Amino acid sequence: MTRRIAISLLAGVLVSPAQFSTGKTRGIPVAAITIEIFSDFQCPACKALHEQILKPLVADYVDKGRVYLVNRDFPLPMHAYARQAACLADAAARIGKYEQVADALFANQESWAKDGKVEETVAKALGPADAKKVLALAKAPDIVAEVESDTQKGRDAHLQQTPTLIVTHKSKSYPVSGIVSYPILRRFLDQLLAQ
Amino acid sequence: MIRWTRLLLRLLLAGVFVYAAWTKLRQPWLVFALSIDAYQLLPEWAVLTTARVLPWLELAIGVFLLTGLWLRYISILAAVILAIFFITMLLSFGKGMGIDCGCFGVGEPLSAKTLARDGLLLASALTLAVVARLH
Repeated sequence: MTRRIAISLLAGVLVSPAQFSTGKTRGIPVAAITIEIFSDFQCPACKALHEQILKPLVADYVDKGRVYLVNRDFPLPMHAYARQAACLADAAARIGKYEQVADALFANQESWAKDGKVEETVAKALGPADAKKVLALAKAPDIVAEVESDTQKGRDAHLQQTPTLIVTHKSKSYPVSGIVSYPILRRFLDQLLAQ
Repeated sequence: MIRWTRLLLRLLLAGVFVYAAWTKLRQPWLVFALSIDAYQLLPEWAVLTTARVLPWLELAIGVFLLTGLWLRYISILAAVILAIFFITMLLSFGKGMGIDCGCFGVGEPLSAKTLARDGLLLASALTLAVVARLH
């Protein structure tokens, strides 16, 4: 336990925030708390969570080595373009541009959810060379399988809605669904870290 | 007949209230606070107070229903609480909010099923409040 805390603290001090982010994950895997965010790019509540909660959560906990963040895809069947968006974001993760693409998808959600121009939204967020790579990668079977694998993990956890955060601390998991206010989430995380 | 109806409803509601309290008290109280917060109806201080108080209130109602003490008043209190839950859930469901019901711990989405269940419990509590006044 002491070793784990020491590693977390050291990692928080020695590793820069940019190095913390690896594809769909952010932070250090040995952090005391792991938060898996099951999200659907076409879901308005997921957009709110991404834009209101994620930034302070990353700054206060993830980049300080206290929380390990894992983004998981859970495209809901009622959202026509959610799976395509998830594939594009996962493809962007392969070239280290997940956060950039996720930001763009959520910021322009209303627009592409209406006209279906998901690829155009992603392409705008990336340079031409990266966009070409990502659009090609998004159709690869392993990317499609990755989205399905995340979705299956959600089903295994009996998820039925997005966004759902699964907060894991000392082998105990606490699912939290819907939009939550950051001050209460922060209290909860502090309570877990104090244990 | 009235006596048996009263006993049946009393035990049913007692079981439900005690179980609801137990599912909330066995986990960190802030998990329940997050469930309440997801309804986006209360300010932070009210969310925290409700999360602290409600499970104990549910437990107390359950125990009183089990013993049958002050049944006339406790059955009204149970009906009022269930009515508040029902209205809150109905409004949130109507808005299409994809949130947890928060009824029995975490992990149960707010749905037509949870609404129907709460409606039935409310009807049971109202019936109990009426039959508790009859001999």
